[in-house]
Amino acid sequence: MSHPRPAHTHPHHADHEHGKPLIRFDHASFWYPQGPALENITLEIADGEFVGVIGPNGSGKTTMLRAILGLLPPTTGSLQIFDCACQNLRCHHRARIGYLPQKRAVDPHFPIIVREAVLMGRSGAIGLWKRPGKADFAIVRHALEDVGMEDYEDHPLGALSGGQQQRVFIARALAQHPQILLLDEPTTGIDTTTQHNVLDLIQRLHKELHLTIVLVSHEINLIAPLAERLALLKTRLYALGSAKQVLTREILAQVYGPQILTTDTGHVIVADHHHA
Amino acid sequence: MTELLTLGFLQRSLMAAVLTGGVCAAIGVFVVLRGLAFIGAGTAHAAFAGVALAYLLGGPPMPFAIAFGLGTAWIIGLLEERGRMKLDVSIGIFYTATMALAILFIGLMKTYNAEVYGYLFGSILSVTADELKLTAGLATVVVGLLTLFSKEFFFLAFDQEMAEASGVPARRFFFLLLTLVALTIVVSLKTVGAILVFALLLIPAATAYQLTFSLHRMMAYSVAIGVLVSIAGVMLSFQFDLPTGPAIVLLATGVFFLAVALSPKRAPKPALS
Repeated sequence: MSHPRPAHTHPHHADHEHGKPLIRFDHASFWYPQGPALENITLEIADGEFVGVIGPNGSGKTTMLRAILGLLPPTTGSLQIFDCACQNLRCHHRARIGYLPQKRAVDPHFPIIVREAVLMGRSGAIGLWKRPGKADFAIVRHALEDVGMEDYEDHPLGALSGGQQQRVFIARALAQHPQILLLDEPTTGIDTTTQHNVLDLIQRLHKELHLTIVLVSHEINLIAPLAERLALLKTRLYALGSAKQVLTREILAQVYGPQILTTDTGHVIVADHHHA
Repeated sequence: MTELLTLGFLQRSLMAAVLTGGVCAAIGVFVVLRGLAFIGAGTAHAAFAGVALAYLLGGPPMPFAIAFGLGTAWIIGLLEERGRMKLDVSIGIFYTATMALAILFIGLMKTYNAEVYGYLFGSILSVTADELKLTAGLATVVVGLLTLFSKEFFFLAFDQEMAEASGVPARRFFFLLLTLVALTIVVSLKTVGAILVFALLLIPAATAYQLTFSLHRMMAYSVAIGVLVSIAGVMLSFQFDLPTGPAIVLLATGVFFLAVALSPKRAPKPALS
């Protein structure tokens, strides 16, 4: 099966306005026992770049993040992170990759306060045999300030709203002092106003801290204005480029089917409400 | 009362109670948070089978208890890890199989041996100086490793996926936890016995869980509760001539229900704005 890519989409190489490539997929495929999750992916993401990854459910978006985290080696091809094969990532490499997993319900009774949750983000940087010191607690406070949650340091995590919990988990990722920040559906399960607040926060962090961001989302319209490049996945990489290049009716119809609509204002409407 | 405390055997019993109560309560925090409670029950019965075999063969009970306890905990862990079998099913099988082994070993003994039953029901008032030294040594190892790796154990208990993504070797720490649980149970066999050690592993941590929203406070409360109910249980059993293991466990259960009644978690809190 061929997967035509319009000529005007951006090549797979990293954006040269940014630094050197930090993430390099080279004809990489990732298989689970039940079948392929990602096939023949070639993609470079440069230092300081903001890439949005979109695609339908089961298209391999989360697999891509797990691969970058070094949790899933490629079945064929290669994936290099910081010039190191992803299956050989060491603790000091992982400590430079912040990760916000897909939001799950936090048990409201689990005994953990905000400071303790954010301090966990320092684990990789502190190392196995050491305990957190004053500097680590200062970094935790700073990360909480970055996300506007410094007044909640001693609050039980389970008592916070969904949006506040997302901010705390972003602070946990920031406490690592990461070079790369991976975000998996950061706006799912929170109200519309909070969604915009969280995305504004991510964009601010990208600009102020010069973080390389890979953001996975099915909310095409929310992330399209933020990401410098969009990667459209459905097991294969269907298109890669600016929102204008990728979000065309022709390309989207190949991935989402004929029920796709694009409005004059550039909004994408997919009949399946999960992908609107 | 002060005079009683000068009695050598009571001093040893109280020391053993402090060590057992403290170490069970400390590791119990991770057992409760990771939902591994019944591994404690399975391992305790396996350790008792080891003790029974030691008496049958005329060997030292502790090394046999450690070998059986560790072996069972690791096999249960491997089965869980490889997804071959659900945890409750594999524990259920080992729990009954090792108990059957223990009964078989006791049945094969030519004479009645009351000491074996001491490991089943606990006999803290008869703890010897050598047993106390061994208990102190094992307790130091367990508490030392828990302290050294507490941040990793807390991280894995709260969010295993994130911990792994941050480079915490989840598999190694899972088996380290199982090892520490097995050692803790062996430490406690003489004190509270194979049947009741499970309660000491579970109840102080479950009580502390009711009382706080902080991981570190949960650890502190759990250890304090474990040590205090163990001391109080020994004193009560000595004063009123009660069996010590049940006295400790029933006291801990009473404190647990008190904590449930007073728990700040009982009233549902509205989400903070």
